[in-house]
Amino acid sequence: MDLSRYAELFLTESREHLSAMNHALLALESSPEASEPVGAIFRAVHTVKGMSATMGYRAVTELAHELESVLDRVRRGELAVTADVTELLFEAADALEQAIEGAVQTGAGAADDTAVPDAILDLIARLKARAALATGGIAAKQVAEPSPAPDPARPSHAATSNRLIRLRLASGTALRGARALLLVKRAASLGTVLEVIPPVEALQAEEFGAGFSIHLDCTAPREEIVRAMFAVGDVDRVEVDGVETVGQPHQQTAADGQAGSAARPTRQVRIDLQRLDALMNMIGELVIARGRLLDLAARHGDPALDEAVALAARLIGEMQDEVMLSRMVPVGQVFDRFPRLVRDAAHGLGKQIVFTVEGNDIELDRSMLDEIGDPVVHLLRNAVDHGIETPEQRRAAGKPASGSLVLSVSRERSTVLVRVEDDGKGIDRERVLARAKEMSFVEKDKAALSDEELMRIIARPGFSTAERVTDLSGRGVGIDVVMNRVRAMGGAVEMRSVPGRGTAVTVRLPHTLAIVRALLARVRDEVYAVPLAHVNETVELDARSVRRVQGREVMLLRDDVLPLIRFDELLRVGANGAGARHQVIVLEVGERRAGLVVDELTGQQDIVVKQFDPARESLALFSGATILGDGAPALIVDVGSLL
Amino acid sequence: MSHTVLVCDDAIFMRTMISDILSQSGFEVIGEAETGVQAIEKYKQLRPDLVTMDIVMPDMGGIDAVREITKFDGNARILMCSAMGQQALVVEAIQAGAKDFVVKPFQPSRVLEAVQRVLG
Repeated sequence: MDLSRYAELFLTESREHLSAMNHALLALESSPEASEPVGAIFRAVHTVKGMSATMGYRAVTELAHELESVLDRVRRGELAVTADVTELLFEAADALEQAIEGAVQTGAGAADDTAVPDAILDLIARLKARAALATGGIAAKQVAEPSPAPDPARPSHAATSNRLIRLRLASGTALRGARALLLVKRAASLGTVLEVIPPVEALQAEEFGAGFSIHLDCTAPREEIVRAMFAVGDVDRVEVDGVETVGQPHQQTAADGQAGSAARPTRQVRIDLQRLDALMNMIGELVIARGRLLDLAARHGDPALDEAVALAARLIGEMQDEVMLSRMVPVGQVFDRFPRLVRDAAHGLGKQIVFTVEGNDIELDRSMLDEIGDPVVHLLRNAVDHGIETPEQRRAAGKPASGSLVLSVSRERSTVLVRVEDDGKGIDRERVLARAKEMSFVEKDKAALSDEELMRIIARPGFSTAERVTDLSGRGVGIDVVMNRVRAMGGAVEMRSVPGRGTAVTVRLPHTLAIVRALLARVRDEVYAVPLAHVNETVELDARSVRRVQGREVMLLRDDVLPLIRFDELLRVGANGAGARHQVIVLEVGERRAGLVVDELTGQQDIVVKQFDPARESLALFSGATILGDGAPALIVDVGSLL
Repeated sequence: MSHTVLVCDDAIFMRTMISDILSQSGFEVIGEAETGVQAIEKYKQLRPDLVTMDIVMPDMGGIDAVREITKFDGNARILMCSAMGQQALVVEAIQAGAKDFVVKPFQPSRVLEAVQRVLG
């Protein structure tokens, strides 16, 4: 049998297990006594072992086997989880990952009898030594085997097991926190709740993304758990130990109690991402064609044609939504590797960091998620490397020895916010200012920097105040790379830094890369597209409400003073005749606002973003281009750069 | 046999509405209470299958009433009626023993679903 076509699937699944393993390792490191992480690691390694044996990947299989032996000893309480055991397990996890990637790359299959790499042999030997060392203690430890305490309320003959229940609430659920609490209570009626992620307090305060997880020690069959969870109501998806069930919220309650029909597992297929990309591209073209079709139909004034075109337009819209949804994946898929990364980075620098990830369940377009990974790594590394101080420095500053680093993802209207926040020493403004003067980025007599100026300066390519270069960051690249990547995605970066208190960087992204809803605005003969995500409102420019403040034109809008940007001046297309009417598009990025003055608003449209090279200085105002319904090209305004 | 219900709310409008929704679906509303204290008294007296309980009521609030009722009857089935934004209070009520909640403005289908869940 030709196994090579399964290699890709093997790789994908193994990566998932490795990610789960790393997670559990981190949990184990923070609470070495806990049994659940060991079980989770064991399960992951066991699965990888089985798969790799089938594929004939010897190195992976042997390594997994030895790792399993060590874990088994730990599980049986014969080997205590000391710091060096954890370290060994981390090393083994890395080696396993390398072995897996290596095996798949070289295609070492069943027939291939190549030698197991030395590094892995070495690790296998060390694992064996560890496992052997532990056997000495069997007799003494056997008594203390951590068998779960018998619960008189439940039948003792059934095997207890740790279940991981992942729940997602239906969209539009009222009082999500209270509903989540009901779910946790319901779960508790089935067994013992070991852990709730995020913690119950956070759930109650509604501080969670689309879903949450419960580790439940219970003997009930999977179907019963699924049924019980759906019966609580407002539940959209229940996943027990990785098997997912999607509910139909309203029929659910009616069916509940009568039959077991509530549990209807979804059927899934894996699709190559390239196929989805191709599909997305075609939909993009279709959306353009739709715009054109609507335009043409409107000119004909034929009701039958209008009707047919409207139907096609609606179907295209629905298709777009479906494809878009099928491309959405929880950010956890990429973010799950960050705890490990932060831990390793912190260890390397002798820093203590409590790293929290919030909103792991929030979904992003796959391509967007791939793009955002690197910038987020940059931000995390910056925080670990430059932000958070060593335990000694922190104690001296009267702060807890452990620094806090939070990566959170949340939604805000049609944008997604990714925020990296540390409680470190903040950016040293004096140093940045001094260095900025040296490099003549600012005037010599500049006294202080605002958050925004600070951001602009450190985002200049080549600007870095790091004293020494580490393997993490400080090479003079970093925030500028982040800025460029994020802007290329049509997003914006904001930063806030308080000396001694920490730094927070917020990356604001549109939901999807490919298609955005935009406002079309005309300036002289050209039409420009302004992404609606950044448009607050539009008003007609009233000359009486325009003032000058410190040489800048502003407009009074209700109780606000709004800086005005004359788009024609910016584009250098020459002033319009006096008395001409103008429209103001009120732009908003985070807390920054400005009014963009244009000649006329010509409509709204879904536009397909075609990116172009952002390095071109002359195009700094634009983030891309699109093709309008009538086939004419239009530039897409980069709102972040305007403000 | 139809299930019996005690409706507790200080607003006549709300009581009427809930009673109508429930009786139209075959439930028997056997009592109404305007205050928390009344709710407890009526519960002890009527022993209904279900209580719908407003959170904010005069003299004794809904949450305290839930506490008292569950103290009296550990199996009491109480459905909280809350407004949007009362999450903390609903959480407290659930911890006190309420079985589920509905959020105003009421949609009859939602109320009935929640009632079914509590009774199921």
